[in-house]
This record gives sequence, structure tokens and C-alpha cells, in this order.
Amino acid sequence: MADYTNYTNKEMQAVTIGKVIEDGQVVIVGTGLPLIGAALAKRIFAPSCNLIVESGLMDCAPIEVPRSVGDNRLMAHCAVQWPNVRFIGYEACEWQHNRGRLIAFIGGAQINPYGDVNSTCIGNYYAPKTRFTGSGGANGIATYSNTVIMMQHEKRRFIEQIDYITSPGWMGGPDGRAKAGLPSNVGPQAIVTDRGVMKFDSETKRMYLAGYYETSSIEEIVENTGFEIDTSRAELIAPPSPDVIRIIREEIDPGEAFIKRPVE
Amino acid sequence: MNKVYSLHDAIAKFVEDGDSISFGGFTTNRKPYAAVHEILRQGQKDFIAYAGPAGGDWDLLIGEGRVKAYINCYTANSGVTNVSRRFRAAIEKGELIYEDYSQDVVMLMLHAASLGLPFLPVKLMMGSSLTDMWGISKEVRKTIEKLPDDKFVYMDNPFAPGEKVVAVPVPKLDTAIIHAQQASPDGTCRIIGDEFHDVDIIVAARKAIVICDELVENDQIRQEPTKNSIPPFCVDAVVHCPYGAHPTQLYGYYDYDNAYMKEYDVASKTPEAFKEFVEKYVYGVKDHEEYVNLFSTMRMVNLKEVPGYGYATKNIGKEG
Repeated sequence: MADYTNYTNKEMQAVTIGKVIEDGQVVIVGTGLPLIGAALAKRIFAPSCNLIVESGLMDCAPIEVPRSVGDNRLMAHCAVQWPNVRFIGYEACEWQHNRGRLIAFIGGAQINPYGDVNSTCIGNYYAPKTRFTGSGGANGIATYSNTVIMMQHEKRRFIEQIDYITSPGWMGGPDGRAKAGLPSNVGPQAIVTDRGVMKFDSETKRMYLAGYYETSSIEEIVENTGFEIDTSRAELIAPPSPDVIRIIREEIDPGEAFIKRPVE
Repeated sequence: MNKVYSLHDAIAKFVEDGDSISFGGFTTNRKPYAAVHEILRQGQKDFIAYAGPAGGDWDLLIGEGRVKAYINCYTANSGVTNVSRRFRAAIEKGELIYEDYSQDVVMLMLHAASLGLPFLPVKLMMGSSLTDMWGISKEVRKTIEKLPDDKFVYMDNPFAPGEKVVAVPVPKLDTAIIHAQQASPDGTCRIIGDEFHDVDIIVAARKAIVICDELVENDQIRQEPTKNSIPPFCVDAVVHCPYGAHPTQLYGYYDYDNAYMKEYDVASKTPEAFKEFVEKYVYGVKDHEEYVNLFSTMRMVNLKEVPGYGYATKNIGKEG
């Protein structure tokens, strides 16, 4: 019998992502962990959610893990194969109708206390130490929809001043988005890392620690966060059931495309 | 009218130095690799690249120094190479002139081009470094004839005074190249699965090349016009290239070639290994036929889509 109690931080992160998704939501997913989380949501936590991707594929139900948002694994078994511009229009119209159904997952290399995210470069934009892909769909998604941000929880990534704002968060406070001309009734809702969950204070829009895992601790999170973070509201998040871990390993990502199993 | 060209002749006639150019497809799906390889062999250069969601297609051209200005939104063979390595190295070494837009803005720009719009107002990129920082300064833009002088300008929404919007220029494309599943000799083209931005760039470009995996009789393709994507007069050249999108996917036909993607991931890490790679797969072969012959028959057979799945899989017929 395989052991499904020995879950990893990454698996915990994927499960936590899955639990963020609610029934009836339209979920914009990317590849990697969000897709694993969303696949879990669709199977267990929120079966009536609908998955869409920025390439324009609508109501996806992949059987095998896709590599990219344009993958045939998403293109098959979806409701409609829209061109990307229709996805963009749909996203903007959802915001105009203020239906509150859209939730999106984005990732990044750096984040500041107000949830602005950098996925473009480390260092000077014109002579970067490390260059990444660039925005992809993230900027548009962060403009028009509520987001959940996935990060690796490291001190060099959670910093006061990020090198480039690819995807706007709360932009320095409660009126930051409005001042920048951005839709202000949407924005980042949470950050899910391999160590815990951060949310944003409803008054100040500054990040606080909302939850930590059995495999991490408040001290560890503070130590790995490069700015001051309020921990007074932090709660322990319950570990995943062995059955959920079994579904990740045996059904969703058996090829370990995005989540490696612990070494026995 | 017969628009069928050999790959060599189509690229030689319709792809010129300095072209403002765009390719169809999405990162590792339906990318016109056969055309990219032929461009590399023929030597055209100095492209203004409206790259869209790019992958190895543009990474090869950047690595071989063919790009004059790169309009980027995303460049990766996702899942294998999470940032294309020649693209990354060129930027980190200061060897590439590039501009960043969000993917939404690039796709809307190309759509606007297909609609013949004079410019495009959006509410995207606001508050981000995509507006605060210009990859290509106004001064440099003025020295590149085919680039607009401004990355964007802020303007007031004329119908809602006080509302700031971002006005972006609409590109004037010289050349578009897409890979479609089917086309007929007169230029009628059928894209199966997601069209991405392919129809937009073909309509917008002055010169349009459609590479197809299957060449279909004119009468045959018109039996189901609902399934067709592009009318004949929007296309200048039709090129028949089976496996012309390899190593990327072609919906309904074949999957990506993971072994190639992994080989490229390693090879693109250093300039030396990259040179060896392009020597093997591009310059070392005479044409697309010789390229396909580099791979074993079974390797290509194993990429074939399994009916009912939409991709290649070994899972069919297994319990569970």
C-alpha cells in the first residue's frame, strides 16, 4: 500500500489552491500548480466551477496534465475554442457586469506587501540579472479579475520594492488601483505559497499572514518574508486527507509533471 | 488560381530583410517551424517581430541574430523551457532590442490590425511597469522606420471625460506565416481547433503564407465552408509541408515532440550547443523533407493524435 500521509509542501500548496475555488466560479488557470489545484477543485472541493485559459479555451476538462495554456490537452474536451481576443473581451465584460464570478491564478518571481507582482525580470529592466518570459496573460488578468497569487515563499521574493510591476495588485493601499485608472472593485485576494496563506487587510490592503501549514510555522514564514508582516490573525490550516493526496499522485499528475513525490 | 509554392520559393518571394512579421500559433502549438527553418537557411534578417505568445520559433531566430526589434509578451516552450534561453541570454547580455507589452495588448493590436483600425484604446497595462518603462526609447524608435515613435500614449476617453485610457499603435504587418491543418491550392484555409491570432495576422499582413499539413482539392474544402477559416484572396502562397509544425502540436494530427523539446532545452543553454543544434536540424539539411527524415518513422507515428483524446497518449485501453 502506498503511503499518502507523507504529503509535501508543494502538495499542500496545490490542495490549498484547490480549496480557494468555490462552486459556481469561473476560474482562469495557468499551467503548473494552479491547474493541479483546479483539477482537485473540479473533482472534490467545487465540482461546479468552470475552468478557462487565456488562450481562449473555455470550460476545460483536461484528462492529462497540459504543459501550456494552448496545449491540445486543454483544447480537447472543452466547450468552445475561442481565439484569445474573445477571452480578453469576456474577462472585461465580466468585470463590467460585476458578476463577481471570475477568480484567476497568477504566479511571479517577486511580490511587494500590496500584492503587486513581478514576472518580467530581476534587477534593472534594461540590463537584467535574470530575465523571465514577460507578462503573458497576467497583466490583463490582474487588471480585470480577482486573483490568487502563487509564490515560492522566500525572503528574496517577498520584498518591499520589486524590480518591475508586471501585474498590478493593490498599488500601495485602498485607493491605489483607482488612482492608477484600474478597476478598483477587483484585486488580489490571497497569496498561496509553499509555507502558508497571506491575505490583504480590508482597510489598508497590506498583506497579513492568514494561515500556515503543519509543515511550516509562523516563525519560519516571518523569517522568509522580506518585509514586516502582521501574524496576529494566523491560523493553522488543516492537513490534506490521504485520499486527496492519492488523487493528486495517481489521477491528476501521475507523471509528476508539476509535483514530485517525496523520495521514500 | 493556383497559389501552391515550394517552401523555398514561398519564403524567397514573400519574406524580405527588415519585414515587420508575425507567426501564428501559441508557444508549443501550431507554430510554423518549417518556415522558420527555411528563413534561417535563406538568411533573411532584421525582422520587426510581433511575436505574440512565442516559443522556440522566435528563440531560434533570436539565437541566430535575425531580429532587429522584438515585440514581446511571452517567450517559452512552457513546461520544458520556462523562459526561452536564447531570448533570455540576448536580453541579459544587452544584445536584443525589445519591447514588452501584455499578451492581451499584443493580441488586441493584431486584431485591430485585421480590422483596419487607426489605433487602439485599452485599459490594460495601467499602473504597471509596462507603461512606466519603455523597452525601446522614443529616440531609438525614431531610427527604426517600421516602429511607431511611441510605445503608447495616454488619452482621455472622448466619451467619458476624465477617464484615462492607454492608446496603442496598430502594427502594419508586412508578412504573416501560419501553419494550418488544411489548405487548398486557391488559398482557402482550414484551421482545426483554436485559431489563436492566425486569421488576424493573415488578414492584416501585406504578404500572407499558409503552410499546410494537408493540401486539399479546391472543391473538396468548399464542401463544408463552415469549417473554413480564411478565404483564398487573403493568401499569397500555399505551401504543402507535412509535419511542418513539428516539434509543436497540430490539433487533430499530432502532439508535441517532447524529446525534441528536451534536446532543445539543453542545447539552447550555451551558444556553442545552440550552434550545434541548428547545424543539425536547420543548416545541415537541405529542406523540410530532409528535416523530417532526421526522425525515425516510429518517432513520428508515436506523435500521432489518439482519436477521442486530442493528443498522443499511451493511456488508451488501460484500466482505471
